Amino acid sequence: MRKITVPIGPQHPLLKEPLSMKLEISGERVLGGTLRLGYVHRGIEKLAQQRTYVQNVHLIERICGICSHVHTTTYCSAVEAILGIEIPPRAQYIRALMCELERIHSHLLWLGILAKHVGLDTIFMHAWHDRELVLDIMESISGGRVSHAANEIGGVRFDLDEENETLIRTNISKLHDQVSGVLDVIENEPALQARTRGVAPISTDLIRQYCMVGPIARASGLDVDLRRDDPWPPYDRLDFNVITHPDGDAWARTIVRAEETRESLHLCEAILRDLPGGDVTVRAPRKVPAGEAVTRSEAPRGEVFYYLRSDGSDQPARLKIRTPTLPALSLLPEQLSAINVADIPVVLAGIDLCIACADR
Amino acid sequence: MSQIRFDEWVREIREAVGCECEPYDGIQNEYTIRIPAANLRDVMGILKDRFDCYHLSAITAQQHEDRPEELEVIYHFWKGEGISFVMTLPLESLVIESITPDLPGADFYERELAELYGVSFSGREEIPPLLLPDDWNQPPPFLSKKD
Amino acid sequence: MIEGLFFLLFFPGLAFQVVCGLAFEWLDRKLLARFQRRVGPPWYQPLADLIKLFSKEDLLPKGANHLIAALLPLVSFSAVLTAGLYIPVAGFTPFSFEGDLIVILFLMSVPTLAYYLAGIVSLGVYSVLGGGRSLLQFFSYEVPLLIALSGPAILGQSWSVAGIMEAQTVQGPFVIFQPLGFILAIVGLIGKLKRDPLDIPSAKSEVVGGSLTEITGTKLGLWHLLMKVQAVVGIFLVINLYLGWLKYLPAHLSILVFVIECLIMVVILSVTSAVFARLRIDQLAGLGWKILVPLALLQIGFVILMGV
Repeated sequence: MRKITVPIGPQHPLLKEPLSMKLEISGERVLGGTLRLGYVHRGIEKLAQQRTYVQNVHLIERICGICSHVHTTTYCSAVEAILGIEIPPRAQYIRALMCELERIHSHLLWLGILAKHVGLDTIFMHAWHDRELVLDIMESISGGRVSHAANEIGGVRFDLDEENETLIRTNISKLHDQVSGVLDVIENEPALQARTRGVAPISTDLIRQYCMVGPIARASGLDVDLRRDDPWPPYDRLDFNVITHPDGDAWARTIVRAEETRESLHLCEAILRDLPGGDVTVRAPRKVPAGEAVTRSEAPRGEVFYYLRSDGSDQPARLKIRTPTLPALSLLPEQLSAINVADIPVVLAGIDLCIACADR
Repeated sequence: MSQIRFDEWVREIREAVGCECEPYDGIQNEYTIRIPAANLRDVMGILKDRFDCYHLSAITAQQHEDRPEELEVIYHFWKGEGISFVMTLPLESLVIESITPDLPGADFYERELAELYGVSFSGREEIPPLLLPDDWNQPPPFLSKKD
Repeated sequence: MIEGLFFLLFFPGLAFQVVCGLAFEWLDRKLLARFQRRVGPPWYQPLADLIKLFSKEDLLPKGANHLIAALLPLVSFSAVLTAGLYIPVAGFTPFSFEGDLIVILFLMSVPTLAYYLAGIVSLGVYSVLGGGRSLLQFFSYEVPLLIALSGPAILGQSWSVAGIMEAQTVQGPFVIFQPLGFILAIVGLIGKLKRDPLDIPSAKSEVVGGSLTEITGTKLGLWHLLMKVQAVVGIFLVINLYLGWLKYLPAHLSILVFVIECLIMVVILSVTSAVFARLRIDQLAGLGWKILVPLALLQIGFVILMGV
């Protein structure tokens, strides 16, 4: 059969963010492809070197539209590490709470996108409807649905009051029902399983070689979760299960993310239960002494890595950001070879692409 | 996850590679070792074979204000805890041996470095453009050269 | 002459088919929206969409043949409308003859072939992919559909839709004797209409717009319109063949029953598209040849035994 080159992106209904792939296709078979990034490269690493530490909190928040909070959390903890200050326990818990809410919101969004890609719009609509419950919580805490501006160097900018806590409790218990319902549906939906089972499996070995992180790694049986393995407080005091799945295919990635959503709901409840009192912020100096620090956090998509070097001024000398989508993308050409054209959306959805993160 | 027994790691690397490798108290939350850039590939081999340490979190490149004539490159590994390998390259010859044969996952990090800082990697296939436009003909955007 | 024109242009021809098409589409979209916790469109939305499409600029890629691209939807539209003329509506049959079922089935497959050709002549990568898929899909659903639809014909001992309906008034609706055939006919209809979950040739996330990716403006409007009418004709056909027992009911009652049956069919189609994920083309081929064809043969065997 004749080979044709099919361009996917930079603009394509499949992609919510610009990414360019050129795929070699013969009939309904994909033979391989190449990948281009950089369409949303904003040079944030360089920009950050020209802004003060305080301004950077808000710049960093704009890296990603979905996991904005975990980015600022990781950045702030890097600055705090060089400053040598410890934030109050209540602030730690609130940061973790926001991280978990963000994970729930991200995973529900992802589930919707997967469903949409395989033509199951009903699940898409329901998942995104449930996601509104999380966004409501976020809005009640910080006033922002997606960009929360909740972090500052030395703590968090918003405290939880009685009203927030009630809303969180009611919405979380609603979400428990909804997520169980959705899980029930996807576990019993034969067509969805037919579309995802055995699609683009990644072996544990390949996961290790490509430095993959997060749910993709866990769906291939690699038991790694920074919240447990390299925790910042309060995760070292919280008890939760790390969900893994041995299969490594698109189905395993679905199940891992869905179960993780449930686990995060439990974590939110635990955080609310253990929430200590006291201040939510300590005073941090504007200038940061010379030093270097590395911080890592478990974002919804896996390890977020920040390296920060300070030269003693009020601006960072170097800020290096590595987001979890980047290693996932490096395996994408490999994953896109020897599959069906119809499986391209499933493979892409399985990665949970965040191009804005990968490009920075 | 097993914790890094740092002293043992340093000793092993020293013995096996036979290079200078000085641990120092540089990066917070991270074990830091300074190694010569020429020995990177050997160190990677030790990490992989001897310590089963695969996970490369990132490769950072940076220029220090007081040392503008060189580029500092840091390989950040992780195995339960972070361990960083710091090396310096003179701006005249920005060449490192690629570690992609051992660790294919380093591919995108190396390509990013190659495009934004102009570092060339030996021992791997040609680097097609990843981030910059196809018709980019200016110097690497993140590298500042004082002439 | 005047009567003939009325039949062609108003009832059961163009105007009636188009109005039914718009109504069914609105009902389908509204139902789907309610299943998905959305509000859904107002009643005039399908019409508004059409008007908007007809007013858009008509573009084609360089080198594509404008004439053929314009002829394809026109030819398939007329084929579908012609098929519609031969289908009894609520027992009303102006042009019936022995063998019209075969003509209807033939005319109904014209749009699929035209759809394939539209992909080839509009010279787009996705169009070619979508066109190829539409043919593959055609081969998967058409055979079980034809076998299944011959069930009523055998049982009614007639190849005319009106004749089959007449047989049902004596023997009772055929859906009772051929439930399997009824289900197969619905599956085949979904495949023919390229509706979710068998919207493989036009799956947005896979092949953008399928064959019609490069088609715009009036041509695209015509394509959409003819697909709506195709849905109407298909639904009427299935109802007449399997639930067509109302010939001798009083006129107003038979219209009421017919409308209710149409609504039930739309609901069935809506629910199927809401609860199933899209199949892959190889999965559809497997389903068609390994499951649907044997089931259709089984049904036919049962029908023949019944006839004996």
